[in-house]
Amino acid sequence: MRLDIRYRETWLHQTNPTFKLLVMLSVFLLVLFVHNPNVLINLSLGLLLLFFFYTGYPMKHLVLFFLPFFVIFVSTASSMTFFGQGTTTWVRWGLVHITKESFFRGMHLGFRALSFALLGLLFSLTTRPVYLFYSLMQQLKVKPKYAYSFLAGVRLIPVMLEEFQTVQNALKVRGADEGGPVKKMKRYAVPLLSQSIRRAQRIAIAMEAKRFSEAKNRTFYYQIGVSRYDVIFLVTMIGLIGLSYYMASVFPYFPLTDVR
Amino acid sequence: MYVASVDELRLKFPGTDTLLFEDVSVSFTKGEKVLLLGPSGCGKSTLLQVLSGIIPHSLDVPMKAKHVRIPDNWGYVFQDPDSQFCMPFVDEEIAFALENIGVPREQMKERIEQLLQAVDLSVPPHTNIHTLSGGMKQRLALASVLALEPDVLFLDEPTAMLDDEGTELIWKTVKRIAHDKTVIIVEHKIEHVLDFVDRIILFNDAGEIVADGETSTIFHMYKSFIASNGIWYPGVWEDYLQQKKKRATNEERQEIIRLHEFRGYRKKDVKIHVPKAQVQKGEWIAITGKNGAGKSTFLHALMKLIPTDGEYEVEGERLAQTKQLARKIAFVFQNPEFQFVTNSVWDELAYSLRLAKRGEQEITEKVEEMLKRFHLEAQRAQHPYQLSMGQKRRLSVAAAIIGGQQLLLLDEPTFGQDAKNTFALLELLESYREQGTTIMMVTHDEQIVNHFATRRWVIENGKLVREETVIMEEGEMRCEIGYSLS
Amino acid sequence: MQKGLKLTDILTTVVISIVFGIVYKLWGPFYYFVKPFGLHIDQLIYGMWFIAATVAFLIIRKPGVALLAEIAASSGEFIMGSEWGLEVLLYGVVQGLFAEVAFAAFRYKRFDLFVVSLAAIGSTIGSLIMDFYKGYIEALAPWNLALFLLARFVGAVLISGVFASSLVKALEATGVTQLVRSASKEDFDQLNR
Repeated sequence: MRLDIRYRETWLHQTNPTFKLLVMLSVFLLVLFVHNPNVLINLSLGLLLLFFFYTGYPMKHLVLFFLPFFVIFVSTASSMTFFGQGTTTWVRWGLVHITKESFFRGMHLGFRALSFALLGLLFSLTTRPVYLFYSLMQQLKVKPKYAYSFLAGVRLIPVMLEEFQTVQNALKVRGADEGGPVKKMKRYAVPLLSQSIRRAQRIAIAMEAKRFSEAKNRTFYYQIGVSRYDVIFLVTMIGLIGLSYYMASVFPYFPLTDVR
Repeated sequence: MYVASVDELRLKFPGTDTLLFEDVSVSFTKGEKVLLLGPSGCGKSTLLQVLSGIIPHSLDVPMKAKHVRIPDNWGYVFQDPDSQFCMPFVDEEIAFALENIGVPREQMKERIEQLLQAVDLSVPPHTNIHTLSGGMKQRLALASVLALEPDVLFLDEPTAMLDDEGTELIWKTVKRIAHDKTVIIVEHKIEHVLDFVDRIILFNDAGEIVADGETSTIFHMYKSFIASNGIWYPGVWEDYLQQKKKRATNEERQEIIRLHEFRGYRKKDVKIHVPKAQVQKGEWIAITGKNGAGKSTFLHALMKLIPTDGEYEVEGERLAQTKQLARKIAFVFQNPEFQFVTNSVWDELAYSLRLAKRGEQEITEKVEEMLKRFHLEAQRAQHPYQLSMGQKRRLSVAAAIIGGQQLLLLDEPTFGQDAKNTFALLELLESYREQGTTIMMVTHDEQIVNHFATRRWVIENGKLVREETVIMEEGEMRCEIGYSLS
Repeated sequence: MQKGLKLTDILTTVVISIVFGIVYKLWGPFYYFVKPFGLHIDQLIYGMWFIAATVAFLIIRKPGVALLAEIAASSGEFIMGSEWGLEVLLYGVVQGLFAEVAFAAFRYKRFDLFVVSLAAIGSTIGSLIMDFYKGYIEALAPWNLALFLLARFVGAVLISGVFASSLVKALEATGVTQLVRSASKEDFDQLNR
C-alpha cells in the first residue's frame, strides 16, 4: 500500500480517472498487437519517463516500486528465451535451447510485460480510488451499489492487512503456524474470511440505514468532470505512440520488425 | 399517535429452532426516550432493526407481524465503530449520507462542518477515519446519522466497544442533540443513560417483555433482575464486591520476569521502551495507558512477535523465539476468534496438549477439567465461532493456559463484555493467580485495576513510565499508592 | 424477487474478494520465485488466481457473483500495485466470465465439487485465451506447451476447485455463511406454528 507516502499532485492526477483508465486500456490493447520490438522498446522508455518524472512521488519510492517489475521483465524474457522454438540456434544446453528467434521473442515479451506494468503503476499512483469510482458513476453510469461496495472494500484493505498480521501472530503463539501449506492456508483464510463476511454484512446494513437504496435523486460530493488535462493526457499518449513508431523506423535498434 | 410500533411480532433466525420473538407488541410515542434492557442475545438489537425496517428490507430474516409502524425519518447508530462506514475520510462519510437524501453539492461542505461541530468532533473534515479512536468514530457515526435529519434515533449499544471516557462523551453528545427527538436505546452500560431515559422496557432471555414503565420505578423494582442479567448498572461493582470472597494474598516472592532497557520495534522505530522492571510470581499486573500508548505492543514485545533488544528474562532464561516463550507464557489476543484453530470446543482445548504429544488419557482428563472450570461443558461439541461472546472469551483463555504456563498475558479480555461475563472471567483469572500464576493484563477499566490487580504499570508514548502498587488494606478495602484518593 | 444482486450480496462479494486480492498480490512474488525452477512448476500454482470466483459463488450462491468476485479481486490486486499492472483487470474479467458460464450452465443450482472444478477449468481457458494474445505461448516447443497446459489445468482444479470447496465447508462450519444465504421457506413456515 502506498497510502502513507507523500506525493505532489501532477497533471496526471488531474486527469479524469475514467478517461485515463480507458486511454490506458486502449494503449494496453494496442501493445498486444505490436510485434516490432523497436516500437515496444521506445514506448516502454516513454512510459518510464512519465513514471519517473510525472507521477509526483519521490525518486526513492519510485525506484522501490519499480524493482519488482524489473524482476518480472527478466523472468518473462528469460523463460521464452530459453525454451522457445526457432531455427537459428545460438545455445543448446540440455532442455535449454536459445535461438535467435526465441531471444528476440523473449526480449519483446519482457518489454511488453514492462509496459503493462508501467501503465498500471502510472494509473494507480496517480488516481485516488474515491475519484475513480465517483467518475465511473458519473461518466459511465456505473450503478452506485457497485461503486460504493468497491469503495467500502478498498477502505478495508489496510484493516485486513492488520488482521492478517494479528492472525499470523495468534497462530504463532498457539504453535499453529506449522504444517502443510493447505492446512496453513485454511487457518489463515477461515478467520479472515468469516470476519470479512460479518463486517461486510454490517457495513451494508449501516449503508442501507443511511437510505442508500432509497436514494432517488442522488447528489455527489465530488463532481468529476473533464478538463484541459484530459486533452494534454490524450495528446501525450498519442504523441508517445507516434514517436515510438517514427523512431523505430528511422533509428531501429534491431533490424527485426516482427518477432512472430 | 405512535411514531414507531410493532404488533404481535414473530421472528426467527434461519438455522435456529426457536422463535426469537413470539407475539411481542411494543410502541413508542413522539419525543419518548426509551431504554431496552435485557440479557445479551435476547433480541433487543433485532427488535430495533424491525422497528426501523432494516428487517426485512435490508436483512432477510423470517418475520411476520400484524402491523409495523416504521418512523418516517429515522437514524441508526450501530455497535461496532469499525464496521459502519463505507468511505475512507470523515467528510466523505458524512457526505455519503447527504448524497443519499439528495442534498445539493454546494451545501455539503457547510453541512459537514455543522454536523462535526454538533457532535464535538474537532478534527479537520478531511481526516482519515482509520486514524480516529473508537469514541471519535462513534461520534462520526452519530454525525452522519444526524445528516439524515431524523425524528427518531435508534442507538444499538453505541458504547459497547468504548472505554469510560468515550462512553461518557457519546452520551453527553446524545443528550445535547436529541432532546427533541424520540430516542430508542439498547445498552448494557446504563450509568450515563439512566438520567436521560424516561421509560425502560425489560426483556428476559426468552425475548418476552417482563416489565415496561417509568425509569425510576422499573430500575428500583427490578434491580435484582437487572443485576442478574449482566447489565452494567451504577453500583454494580459495589454489589459485586460485597459478595466477592476475600482474596488470598500470595506471599511467595519469586521473580518470574526481569526487564532491563528492553525495547520493542516496529519498522525500526522504538514503539515500547521499558527501562527497568520486574514481575514476581503470583502478581496481577494491570497495564494501563491511553489509546495507542503502546500497551498491546508491549505484550507483543514480550512474546517476541516484534523485533526486540535489551535484557529480558523469563524464569531466569533468555528466550529468543516466540515458540520457546509460548511454552512458558500463555497469550490471549483481543479478538478470540483469531486464535481458534479447530472445529470444536473440545479439540480447541486439546490442541496444545496434542501438539506437546501428551498421552490421550492425560489429554482427556485435562480437557474435561477445563470444560468444567470454564463452564463450557454444554458447548463441548460446538464450533468455537458459534459460541457467545463470553464463551468465546473463556475458551480463548482456557485454550491458551491449558499447557500449564505460569504466566498469562491478556489484551483487554473484558472488552465489550457484559457484567456477568466480566466477573466470571475475572474470577477465573483470580483463581489461577491464587494458585501462583502470574497475570499481566492490558485494561482500560479502573475498577478492574483497583479490585483485581496487585500492581499497575502505566505506559505513556511507548514507554513504561510508572509503577504503582495496588495494595490491600484490612479486609476488602484497598487503596493505591501514588494516587490521591478522592 | 428483487432485480439483480442486493447491496449486501455485492458488498460481501467485494469484501471477500479483496481478501483474495491480497492473496493474489502476494501470490505474484511467489509465482516468480517458483518460476526459475523451470518445467512450468509455476503453472501448478497459477490456479490460485481463479479462487475468488469459486469461493464467493459457493458462499453467496447467486448469479453474477463469480464474475463480480474475480473483477473485485483483480481490482484489489491492481490497487495494491500488482506486478502485472493493468493486465490483471482484463484477466480478471475474462477469468470471472468463464467461471460464471460454468455456474450458469447448471442454472446456479449446483454447488458441488464437479461444478466448481468446471468453473476452475473455465477460468483456466479464459486465462489461456488472454495468454494466447499476450504471450506467444503457441511458440513454445510442443512438449513444453503440453506440460504448460497440463500444469495449469491440474493446478486450477486443485486450488480453485478442490481447495476452494473444502475452504467453504470449513467456513460453513463456523456458521457465518448463514448470514448471507437467503432464508428458506421452512423458516417462514415455522413462524406460523
